[in-house]
Amino acid sequence: MNVAWWCSSNPGQVWTWRYTPFVGVWLAAAALLGLYLGAHRRAGRPVDPRLLRRWVAGVAVMAVVSEWPLGALGAGYLATVGIGRYIALTFVVAPLLLSAIPTWLLDRWLPHGSARWTATRWLTRWPVALLVFNAVLFGTHLPVAIDTLKVYQVGSFAVDAAHLLAGLVWWFPAMRREADRGAIREPLRAFYLFASSILMFVPATFLAFSPLPLYGLYELAPPLWLGFDPVRDQQLAGVLMNVVGGLALWTVIAIGFMRWARAEERADLEARRAAGRSAAG
Amino acid sequence: MRRTGRAGRAALLVVAALVVAGCSTAPSSSTALSAQGLTQADDGWYGLPLTVERSLPDVTLTTTSGRPFRLDTELAGGPTLLFFGYSSCPDICPVHLASIASAMEQTRTRYDQVRVVFVSVDPARDTPERIDTFLDHFDDRMIGLHAALPVVEEALTQLDLPGPIVEGPDPRGEGDLIGHPAQVIGFDAEGRARRVWPFGTRRSDWVADLPRIVADWSA
Repeated sequence: MNVAWWCSSNPGQVWTWRYTPFVGVWLAAAALLGLYLGAHRRAGRPVDPRLLRRWVAGVAVMAVVSEWPLGALGAGYLATVGIGRYIALTFVVAPLLLSAIPTWLLDRWLPHGSARWTATRWLTRWPVALLVFNAVLFGTHLPVAIDTLKVYQVGSFAVDAAHLLAGLVWWFPAMRREADRGAIREPLRAFYLFASSILMFVPATFLAFSPLPLYGLYELAPPLWLGFDPVRDQQLAGVLMNVVGGLALWTVIAIGFMRWARAEERADLEARRAAGRSAAG
Repeated sequence: MRRTGRAGRAALLVVAALVVAGCSTAPSSSTALSAQGLTQADDGWYGLPLTVERSLPDVTLTTTSGRPFRLDTELAGGPTLLFFGYSSCPDICPVHLASIASAMEQTRTRYDQVRVVFVSVDPARDTPERIDTFLDHFDDRMIGLHAALPVVEEALTQLDLPGPIVEGPDPRGEGDLIGHPAQVIGFDAEGRARRVWPFGTRRSDWVADLPRIVADWSA
């Protein structure tokens, strides 16, 4: 039982709106950019501006949600920002980074037959990826996990890293096009994404409808302003997870499914035309 | 092989940078030391029992409407939760009061069943209006009291608690931070101090304890 008997500014950190740079975030962002550009230079390949934009966007979003104020707010003050960061890392950063990697670079980073290839191949099989993603989603949103891990920066970092890695694993089969790397196609892809969106409703519903604060971390955090209740914060976090997370996924599902339906329709039309031509001939 | 080595080193660099970003054992917020809440004792209570006998101090303070308020006589006859704090407090005071207010609402405990009393330890800044405004953020039925510092210190002394200490500038630029006891003290209808709830008490702890306070400590 950890309690305080003396109200003091020490060891706590009173929230202030004074900019507090988080140097490690910028180092990580620079390292990721260097990794991407360096790999192109070493391979003697030109950088595809379209893919570079995605990589830069992914790194930039990661930096923004990890730097002050969002990083600090989400790590220890507001559940809404914590969930917002989860959504950003999982549904924005992970797909942007993944879609920015050309096949030749993926082959260099995960060479066929290597241990990394084998591990990635196993982890990104769609049933495994679905399991990993949801295990991380549920596991890292359990009150005991949040209240144990996120009270320290290293634990908070571990949670963020788990979210990003689980996001990369989960998006891999749905986003990559390489059949030999376990890429899936419609309608399985739609089912795969839809299943996760449904499962995400479970923690989101707990957040939105619990009458008591679930997380001691956010409940006992210094309030940013008087009158803002931790239950409200938690409800907003649940709504954010449901609406934004769900909406983002359903948009991806809808776009993917419509593209697939159009392609199927075109193929069907072509087949009928070809059949008509051969019958007329 | 050489390419793989370079890629590996680059990946290590990324990992190292990320570790730099995250690696620190410093708590990420002031909740860090108390996020676990209280544990339920064998008797079912979350509040911690007092091992020494203490009762409501016989000191006279002033309500925010200017009426003299003697703690031991005015609060006799029903359970009381007493907390010493100040309205500029950035963390523990508002969190404690918000938890109590919310738990009172959730358990439908009336403020005439359990009186919630806030005594300011910062007479220099806490004017009656300021105390009222502060308490209104939680519930305007809470009783706000103030007095000259020696009177407040006398009340704390009678409860075996240390007096307030100026601890240095508030990082928000709102004057000084004041150190003070962080526990809420619970008194029964006869004015005896029965249990305390230190900072770290969760709303769920209050929801469990408030009905017991009403049932066991009322006259």
